[in-house]
Formats: sequence, structure tokens, C-alpha cells
Amino acid sequence: MSEKDFQIDSGMLQFVPKGAYYEDQNEQIKAINDTWSAFFNYDRTLFCLTTLLNGTGFSKGAMSHMLLSNPQAVTGREIVPAGLAFDYESKVIMYNLIKERTPRALKNLLMLAGKEGKRRVNNSRTRHLILEYVFNRDHHELDNLAINYKGKLKTLIRHALGKQELTKILFGDHQLFMKRIGRYHPDAFPVMCYVFNRPLQKNVVYTRFAKIDQVQELSKAAKAGDVDSFKKHMKGLPNLTVMGYRNTYKIPVELSIVYEKAKMGSRQSLQMESAAKKAGTKIKVNYKNQDIYDLWKAFYHKVTIGDQSNIKEVIEAIRFKMDSKKKIDIGEVVIVIDASKSMQGSDTRPLHPFLTALSISSMISNVKDVLYVGGKIHPQTDGVIIPSGATDLWRGLVEAVLTGTKKIIVISDGYENSVKGLFDHVYKHFKKSGHDFELMHINPVMSADAKSGTVRKLTEDVTPLPVSSHKYLETEIIFNQMIENREIVKQLLIGKYKNLIGG
Amino acid sequence: MGSLFDILDFAGIGLGRVQSDDEMTVIPLVGGDRGNIARPSSLKFERTTGYGSMQFSNEDDKPAIVPSNMMVRGTGGQDHAMSGCGIILAKSTKSFNDACCIEETQGGMLSAEGNDEDILPIELRKTLLNYGKRTQKGYSKLWNDIKDWLRGMNLGRDSAHLRYFYDNKSIGQALEDFAASFEPIENQIGAVIMFNGIPVGIEIMPSADHWDAYWQHLLRGCYGAELLRMKKLGKITPSTLILPDIPEDASPAEVKELLTEFSDHLREEVIPALERISVSDNRRIGSITSGLETRMVITDSGGGDIILQDSKPIYISLVL
Repeated sequence: MSEKDFQIDSGMLQFVPKGAYYEDQNEQIKAINDTWSAFFNYDRTLFCLTTLLNGTGFSKGAMSHMLLSNPQAVTGREIVPAGLAFDYESKVIMYNLIKERTPRALKNLLMLAGKEGKRRVNNSRTRHLILEYVFNRDHHELDNLAINYKGKLKTLIRHALGKQELTKILFGDHQLFMKRIGRYHPDAFPVMCYVFNRPLQKNVVYTRFAKIDQVQELSKAAKAGDVDSFKKHMKGLPNLTVMGYRNTYKIPVELSIVYEKAKMGSRQSLQMESAAKKAGTKIKVNYKNQDIYDLWKAFYHKVTIGDQSNIKEVIEAIRFKMDSKKKIDIGEVVIVIDASKSMQGSDTRPLHPFLTALSISSMISNVKDVLYVGGKIHPQTDGVIIPSGATDLWRGLVEAVLTGTKKIIVISDGYENSVKGLFDHVYKHFKKSGHDFELMHINPVMSADAKSGTVRKLTEDVTPLPVSSHKYLETEIIFNQMIENREIVKQLLIGKYKNLIGG
Repeated sequence: MGSLFDILDFAGIGLGRVQSDDEMTVIPLVGGDRGNIARPSSLKFERTTGYGSMQFSNEDDKPAIVPSNMMVRGTGGQDHAMSGCGIILAKSTKSFNDACCIEETQGGMLSAEGNDEDILPIELRKTLLNYGKRTQKGYSKLWNDIKDWLRGMNLGRDSAHLRYFYDNKSIGQALEDFAASFEPIENQIGAVIMFNGIPVGIEIMPSADHWDAYWQHLLRGCYGAELLRMKKLGKITPSTLILPDIPEDASPAEVKELLTEFSDHLREEVIPALERISVSDNRRIGSITSGLETRMVITDSGGGDIILQDSKPIYISLVL
């Protein structure tokens, strides 16, 4: 494909396989596969390095699958770009797996075993990746991984080792165990036995895995219908594991006790906060561990339903995130946020555009001022703005220019109606009369596959940057420059590789 | 009979900031609740009980209003529209036997579920301003008008199926985009709608909740649909608002002042435009029930319905 014909946009990193109204899932997957193939053939190094940018777990998994399906070196004489290690692809893939939340990382590895609609891939690189990801972790983490994801580990380990080697290891081939697994975790044999339901040898002393032992006790209690023993052993085990045994064996333990005693992931605890409250209990949420979008969402949810509990903690966590988050610095900037009614989003994703706008503004450093256009103060609060009313965005532009800033970011869905065209009219006036500022229009779109040419513009001179999540802001900025400044972008990504992974 | 402005009783109603998208301008009307009327969510379309008969129910303990010329399009039966507005008393069900079929060759009755609701487009609403036609019991009374309305748009066979228009994929998308260009503002209870600066409709609901419930039916289904048709048939001059010249040496503060004046002026223009519209007929439709009176108003170029509660207008829907 010639460079002239090649087109790319960041949607390829943000794909989530859900059927949209006009496009069923198969059509979407075919389209995205074509995009990935085209990019892979255009520049394999760029293809690999872009997965270091923020994107969805599914996209990264599928792109890694493509890299692992095609040998990195065919002739052995391929030149690795300066600044990258010879096995940089494996390093990038492993880095992404480690950064990903565990369920998603396992799903991505399962793609290699023919799951998630992918073709099976089995080679030296995939074997190492799977076994290293599963076993190269400390004792406590491996214990937790085993009890949370037993079924998935079973599939992955069997795929990586093959039937023959797996049987040999489970039947006591210690040398083979050390070669394949022991190199990462020499004490992991009990984990193998737990995952494949094999009893441990009685005459051998093993390092114990406390959680595995506990789950086995819980299982015994559930099968025997022993409620007291069940309650005793459920403490500290994952919520989903406990719920699974409770529901399967109909153990009469109240939901509120499960919420209180069992353990939830950080994100799950935030999502379950309201459900737990309804069930008559409280769960402890570590707000500072949450994503900024989830925090804004929790904040607005609490404001909307009038729930004052922990609201100060949520606000503190938002401030903490705004202070501590690694931010994007494009110089001193004034941000104009469209807070009109249309930023309320849809019934299925209420407030999504507005929450995305708030999260994006939290990601940018060196902010001189944030100006809201439209919106109203929520009646039960002290100054919380909620989207409402018409969009006279031109006022925001004028106010921003009045601050004397040289960079203005407008975050808006582009539906200007009060009155339509005034923003463009005012912008052109300022440009014509010599006001020196740059304007960036970020459109917080609902769907990740929105293309920059298809979202609404505020002025014909500025192409909007569609951003479906604050996580993709840097990605969008880089993809925007991908074709015109290919080598600069590559160097930028190599720099990112060095920062994140090292040599 | 005086000007339209005198009859409408705008006491307690203010004008919001003007919204516009190309040829259409909407001036929001804001104010408090205007009557003791059921929440819009209490009103439900139940079914068609026969050809030309639409049944609604009201679960509230206050009377409910069916907006003028409401149309219901479903997949299992013949689509229908109301000939005017309707009143359903508290906790009751009512059938309107002067309704119109808007899907000529489709058989079957509509049920309560799985329907799309809208308001008829302007020109079709105007044909129902003839008192005889409006009160006539004849389900086919709108067929010829629908055929005329669809003519020239190349949407399908020459039959009176209004859904040829609304179900068309590109038209549906255009209407959605169009509706998305407008936004209800706080305490909005209605709007004056203009095409190319000329008023084409006045809609006032009993409360902001009612406006929230029906504004899309009106701006997309009624006014947006008519504007789109006019554009397709070349019956309207493409235009946008003429924006004011900004002197090159105007400072940002001066720009702000100039454009604020411009917006205010646009808003204020609507009052003399309404004052220029004269009313030629203003008659009661049906009897007064529970203190509610329905009146049909005819103006120079159109007209519509007004519902009064204890002699005060609480619902107004006029196409001009």
C-alpha cells in the first residue's frame, strides 16, 4: 500500500467488539482487522510501539496476536531500529499484559489458545509469554491468581506446555518442571496441582499457598452444607468465588455478609458501592486507586441521587488524581467546557460526554483557567455544574481570548445552536484581527470508532479531535501526526519505550 | 378578532436565548407550570380500537392532555394520528373516534407497545384546521393530503404511507441530527419556531416536564420534518442567520457586547412578528369538562388548538 493511500486513525487502538446500530459485530471486526493488517504491513515497528499508548485491552490483545502470529525475524538479518532491543516486541507485549487488568490480560493470552475468536498460535515466543506472565510473580500474587482464574490458567498452561509435557510435569518430572515453570517460580508445583485438580504427593513437603488451601476448605464446607465453616473460610476470598459457591450449593448466607467479608477488586468495589448499600452494608472503597473518569462518574451519581456518604473522599481522590496523574503538557492553556444539555449523553451512557470532558481537563497540566459554557448549578449542591440549556460557545471563546492565553482547548460535542455559526464567526474575526492563539477542538464522542472527519466542527479551520475516553488523549494527539510525521512519531514512541521498558 | 399575541396570554412567560440551525430558529419560552395537569408520563397510548379510533389512558388523578395531531406508528397495525388535541380525565381511558389513518394499505390494530410517536408535520396539521374535516369520522380523510405531502420526494409507491418518510434511513438520520442541534433549556415550557425569520409555530406546554417529554416530537417530527421536505422540494431558500459584521479593530470585550446585543435583538424580534398575526376565528370544540375548554384558533395562514383551564390558556399548539 502506498503511503498516499494509507489512512489510519486511533480507533484501531480503541476497539471494543460491540455491534453498533448500523453495523453488526462481524462487519466491525472485519473492518478493524483490515485496519490492523494495513498498519502492520505499513510499518511493523510503529504497529508494535503504538500499543504502548492507551487503548482498549481487546485492541492490544488482537494486535499482539498479530505480532506473535508472524515471526519477528524471518531471515535473521532484519534491522531493529536504533534504541530498541532485539526482542522489543516480546518486551512490549509483556509490558502491556502486566499493565492490563488481570482478567483482560488473561483474555488476551487466551487469544493465543484460539479463544476470543482468534486463531491458535503456538511458538516459542507465545510459550514463554504465557508461562512468564502466569508464574513470574511473587508467592502471594500467584496464590491469588490461581484461586481467581483457575479455569483460564488451565487452558493457558495446557496450551503453552502441550499435553505431553503437561502430563510429565504433573506426574513428577521435576527437571522438566524446573525448565518450563520453575525458572519463574520454583515453588509453583502446588499451583499446578490445584489448577489441574491433582492431589499433592503425600511424602513430599511443599511450600503452602494459603488462599488455595482456604478455597479448598470453602469448597468442602459448601459441599457439606456447613454454614458456619463456610462463613469462616469465606473471609478475604474473592467476592465472585464466594458468590459462586454460595449460589451453586445454595448456602444460606446473606448477601450483606458476602459483600462485607469477601474481597472485591478496586474497581468492583466502586461499582458495587450502591448495591452493597441497598443490601444494608458498607464496603470499603479505596477511592484514590480509581480511574479519574470513574471518580467523576461516582461523584455525579452521588450528587444526582443525593447520596452524601463519602462524597468528600471522592472529591479528595479527584484532587489527588489531578495533582498526581502524569499529565500532558502543551504549554499554558485555557479550557472551555461545553456544559449544554446535549453533553448529557444518552440513556445508556448518561453524562458520558460531560464526564469525558471533565476527565480530559483533569489530564492536562498548566491550565490557566477552566470556563464552562451553559450548564446550571445542581440545586442541592454548592456549585456543582450539570449540563443544561443551549450552547453559546462563542462566549467561551471570547472569555478565553480575554485571558490573553496563547492556547485554547474547547471540549464540545460540536452542536452549537445559540446561534449556529457564531463560534466560527468570532474565531475568524480574532484570527483576522491578529489575535495570536491556537485552538484545539476536542470532541468527546460516544464511540471509539468516530473518525476525525465525521464529527461536528465548530469552525471550518480547525479539525476536531474525537476522543472517546480521557485515556486516549495522548494517543489521539500522536495518531493525528502519524502519517505526516512518521519518523518523528516513531522516535517519540521509541522514547516512550525506553522510558517505560528500558533497553 | 385582534392579534394572536393578545389571545395567547404570555403573562409569566419569558424568552430564552435564541437557538438556530440553518433555516430554523427556535426561541425558547420559559416559565412556571401553567395548570393543574397530569404528568406527561401518566398519559399512555393504549391501542387503536378500530380504523379511525385512538385510545389513550391517564393514570394520574389530574386530567391529561394529548398533544395536537400526535401520531403513533407501530409495526403491527395501521399507523394513526389525532385530528386535534385531546383531554383525558383523571384515572380514565378515552377513545377519539375522529382520528386519521396515516398508512393507507396496512391493516391491523396498534397496541400499546413498540410504537414510535411524533407530531404530524406542519402542512398536514394545517389541513386539519378545517372544522368539518377535523371533526369528521372517516379514517381515510387525510390520505389525499398525505399523498400530496409525499409527492416529489421519491420515497416509494404513490400511497398514503407517512412512514415512507419517517422510516427512510437517510431522512431518519437527518431528522435525528437536526433535533440534536436544539436543546431544551431550564424551565422551558414552549417555543416559537421560525423558518427564515418567519414564525411557523408556537408551542406552549403546561409544564417544563411536558416540554421535556414532547419537544423532540415537535422539533423533529413536526417542524424538522416539514423543513426537510421543503428543502427536498426546493420550497425554501437555503439560508442561515445573517451574522453581524464585527469591526476588525473590535476588542474581545467589544465583540462580546456586540454579539450579546445581536442575540437579544433576535429574541425581541419575535414579539412584533406575533403581534402582526391576526386571528379570524376562535371557537370552542366540544364541551367544558373539569374546567378544561378546548378552542380552535384560525389565523391568517394557519391555526391550532388552545386548551384553557379555568379560562387561562395552559396548552397552545399553533402552526402558522
